[in-house]
Amino acid sequence: MNGDFLALLPKNPLQQPGTAVNREDLVLHATTVFAFHCSAGVIMAGDHRATAGNNIFSDRAEKILELDAHSMMAIAGSPAVAFEMARTLQTTFEFYRRSQLQPMSLDAKIRALSKLLRDNLSATLQGFGVVAPLFAGLETEDPAAKPIIQFYDPLGAQFEAVNYAASGSGSPSIRSALHYLEKWGSPRPREMSLEQAVVLANRLLMTAAEFDAATGGVHPDRRLYATIKLLNRDGIRGITLEEHETFWQKAES
Amino acid sequence: MTEEPYRWLEAIQNRREYIQDHLKGATPVFAASRPEGVLMLGAGQGQSKVFEVYDRHALCGLGHPVDIEKIRQAAIEAAHLEGFNRSTRDVTLRRLVGFSLSPTLKNSFEQIFSPPLIVESLFAELGETPAQDVLVRLHFDGNHHYEGSGVVLAHSDRKLESEAHAWLKKTLRPEHTLRDVADVFLTAWKAIFDRTSFENLAVSHAVPALNEGRTLEVALLDRRARGPVHYRKIDFPNFPS
Repeated sequence: MNGDFLALLPKNPLQQPGTAVNREDLVLHATTVFAFHCSAGVIMAGDHRATAGNNIFSDRAEKILELDAHSMMAIAGSPAVAFEMARTLQTTFEFYRRSQLQPMSLDAKIRALSKLLRDNLSATLQGFGVVAPLFAGLETEDPAAKPIIQFYDPLGAQFEAVNYAASGSGSPSIRSALHYLEKWGSPRPREMSLEQAVVLANRLLMTAAEFDAATGGVHPDRRLYATIKLLNRDGIRGITLEEHETFWQKAES
Repeated sequence: MTEEPYRWLEAIQNRREYIQDHLKGATPVFAASRPEGVLMLGAGQGQSKVFEVYDRHALCGLGHPVDIEKIRQAAIEAAHLEGFNRSTRDVTLRRLVGFSLSPTLKNSFEQIFSPPLIVESLFAELGETPAQDVLVRLHFDGNHHYEGSGVVLAHSDRKLESEAHAWLKKTLRPEHTLRDVADVFLTAWKAIFDRTSFENLAVSHAVPALNEGRTLEVALLDRRARGPVHYRKIDFPNFPS
């Protein structure tokens, strides 16, 4: 009787031993996220769906997570591991900035996420803790620096995305569409205004949801839009529901 | 020596005098709870005196730079561990000072065979409203008190500190802007530095000459800040509107 709730759990397991469980039904996955450059900065967007096997576990999942004033992470894969990684990074970046009286460099932030992915190797190899995140950040100490996008493989290798990156089960559709638009679009995504980029991000998710059951669609008629955040030198800001509706109605009219 | 109580008391008294002697040249630091947030001010001589601790927490200190740094690091580590293991809302000054910093300072002060921590400090916690702000004055011996008047200062001379505090309480008005509050702080700073009387002291709106290479440090725990981090440095005299 030491008041430790966690010590009670093994004595009172939620799942009785011997009950058949399909592991797929226990492991949550979060899809789909992507990021691309536009004229206002970097847009990072994601749907709201978390699935476990064929079950829709949640349609309210937040997958674009702010790590500090100038860096954010989009999660695809196991939310349990990804949320913990994001929380660890948030504390790590702020702890460093406050204790060392200077912000952590962007390179170090990028590698910090890489290290967490490598530390998660055993869960990744076992198949239940796979995370393939995207990262967007800005080197605040360099006045000429522009925001960048990085994508990772589940083992921690990092790559800089020149124009765009996508992750999760709906990402093939989004990558294809973004590739097409970057090559032949007018304007190209990187030339788009914030308004155009927000409409594009919502349309991309609607397209991905057409072909991927694990991607939660955008439903403007139900006032449901993608989570979209913008990163530039001013920091990070989320696109509000009012902005979503205004941009969408203007584009569709 | 410790087997003989009177010699232990004597050692403690010597230690107190030693610390006070080392703190003599230090200048005060100030904090006030305002509608815009908690304003803090200090004048450092090559070293900072005003620091961010956590999302809604800050520290101002005077004394030996190494000891200020020890207290600062201890506060930051305790706050971040608590915020990570529980939640950011669980990081409170009451727990931070009462269970972590104050015992550390008391232990350090009473361990007569190790060097003492030469630091006087004050801590601020931003609430949702000025009434919920918390200001704590923490002394080098671990003694601390919660200041309910909305303004607090830390200085090496307890008598001067008390006089300045009474004058600050009397002088600060609800309608004062952040710049006005900074002027009140600077007037008190100058009076303490010059050892002039607080009786009939009028607020000066001229920035005093901070001689001996001192630089002014002003920071705000900004109540209107968007996002979790509320601490921001102010480039005096450019206060946020």
